[in-house]
Amino acid sequence: MFKKILIANRGEIACRIIRACREMGIASVAVFSEADRAGLHVQMADQAVGIGPPPAVESYLDTDRIVAAARATGAEAIHPGYGFLAENPEFSRRCEKEGIVFIGPNSRALELVGDKVRARQTMEKAGIPIIPGMKRIAAELSEYAAEAKKIGYPVMIKASAGGGGKGMRVVYTEEDLRPGLEAGQREAKSAFGDESVYLEKYIENPRHVEFQVLADNDGRIVHLFERECSIQRRHQKIVEETPSPALTPELRQRMGEAAKKVLEVAGYNNAGTVEFLLDKNREFYFLEVNARLQVEHPVTELTTGVDLVQQQIRIAAGEKLALNQEDLSQRGHAIECRIYAEDPAGGFLPSSGKILFLKEPKGPGVRHDGGIYSGWDVPIYYDPILAKLIVWAETREAACRRILSAMDDYIILGIKTNISFLKDIISHPSFLEGATTTGFIKSHFEGWEDKEGPEETLMLALAAAAFFDSQRTREAGVPPLRGKEAFSPWRALGKWRIGEKSD
Amino acid sequence: MEFEYIVKTEVRRISLDKKGERFVLRHGDRTLEADIRVISPHMLSLIVEGRSHLVYVAEDKDRIYVSLGGTTQAFKRPGAEEQRFEKGEEGAKEGIAVVTAPMPGKVVKVNVAEKEAVRKNQTLAIVEAMKMENEIKSPLDGVVKKIHASAGDLVDSEKPLIEIEPKA
Repeated sequence: MFKKILIANRGEIACRIIRACREMGIASVAVFSEADRAGLHVQMADQAVGIGPPPAVESYLDTDRIVAAARATGAEAIHPGYGFLAENPEFSRRCEKEGIVFIGPNSRALELVGDKVRARQTMEKAGIPIIPGMKRIAAELSEYAAEAKKIGYPVMIKASAGGGGKGMRVVYTEEDLRPGLEAGQREAKSAFGDESVYLEKYIENPRHVEFQVLADNDGRIVHLFERECSIQRRHQKIVEETPSPALTPELRQRMGEAAKKVLEVAGYNNAGTVEFLLDKNREFYFLEVNARLQVEHPVTELTTGVDLVQQQIRIAAGEKLALNQEDLSQRGHAIECRIYAEDPAGGFLPSSGKILFLKEPKGPGVRHDGGIYSGWDVPIYYDPILAKLIVWAETREAACRRILSAMDDYIILGIKTNISFLKDIISHPSFLEGATTTGFIKSHFEGWEDKEGPEETLMLALAAAAFFDSQRTREAGVPPLRGKEAFSPWRALGKWRIGEKSD
Repeated sequence: MEFEYIVKTEVRRISLDKKGERFVLRHGDRTLEADIRVISPHMLSLIVEGRSHLVYVAEDKDRIYVSLGGTTQAFKRPGAEEQRFEKGEEGAKEGIAVVTAPMPGKVVKVNVAEKEAVRKNQTLAIVEAMKMENEIKSPLDGVVKKIHASAGDLVDSEKPLIEIEPKA
């Protein structure tokens, strides 16, 4: 087993991986950009190395600096997390050359599945159903336009190196094709360093169902069932769950076998996720392989009892997969909500700034994977994900109630988050029924506004603010902000101290 | 003692007066008595008519954030609001719309040039923040008077990005 692992990532996922290292008795090395010196992952790791300026291309995406950090600290392996260098075959190859173990698939498999276009060709040959669309990258707009016409609008623009919704656009008419391609290419370039995009038939309102797969270096493969990730906004997943309310045991088995086949054909090792679209007739189509640890991996961990990060590390260290397909089962139900720094009532604009106060929810079956703390300044440079709230319960209904209750108990002050939006999603009748498709947000939450709370809640909130202001003034010995001496709490409130009864 | 806060756009008043060990709260025509206890610098416990409420409070330079019963609200203090209002008035007097980025980020592209005529909702610029591109649109029909940023610049939400002179 490794003695030291470098984590080439930041935020909640870096913290998650550092935890796994600790539990396995492996030393951890964090890397950080200048914007992340105060990041939680830096605090948690055993060692930390600065790797450059805030923009990711000069730090978290800079392979030279990351390899140098591994060399300098003597880390034997690098865990890339998700995003950044996670699915970059050049980085994986570079590690192989340098004699550093890349905790992820081998570079050839990564190259194949990372090239979404080639992956589609390969899977089609292997008899896996795929979505109709381009099987190669076009050079010019006219080619794209011709392909789009052939496929039939609406079409989906996808980044060839893509994932996580970056670079993706739906185009309904030919005149929107050029701006869509430009924006898609720019986003793809900045997110993955590769601007290639291709077109696919846009399947309207499908479910997004993916299968978690583990493969060891000798070709043993198991799947750990599905995750349903249909609740998406701008092609970005926000709520994930397992089991999927849409799968029958028979369909689950067929899709699981197909997922294993996909990785087998790709010569894949380590953890991978095979994404499928499930249309309204319950036909499934191969979408892509996510050749990394997924953001939503905890729901699988909670229902199967398998620690996916530790499995990744074991596989990378050359251990034989100790899991048998027959022994794996799904127990109960798990739901994850992604907590983003964004303003759901203000067009979902990112909301950076200081977290003034944080209280993470607790309780039976509640897991909080976070990369945040009270007093931390959320930087503008990176993905707005702050944390993930995951719950487990015996049934789907109980899991919905549990996550709603946990969100009531989740306090983040100082920046805007999507928590109130997530609560409305989970408590929506269609969600509770399990009627979840990728069009869910568009059909039920267009123009969403935060509900007005009861008048008494507002009154008590105002009273608390007033009390806080009077206390603040008292402690600092300065006049109240509104500057009206008549309201001075020095006169009105009398003497009191924190933790004591007011007199 | 009376306090004023701005909730969304409305001014709300609350009064807080000591009565023995309790406080009398008045808001509109409602009156409640509360037992208020400070738990920690960011936590207050309120017992009102036998119901227990845990309240979380924090502040930054112009807002006070309060969370209770699963709802988080940001109240502006009237002082902060007045300043903003004045800034807006000034712009309005000159008849120029000052477009700012809605969040701190990096300018990816400026789609218009100075003196160019623009339509309402036309995309003026693209600002990227947290890896998402956001289109900055014109609030009205007019002419681009001045551009304050170019591609690659970091902008924050307070500084002017583009000034638009309304169509006469």
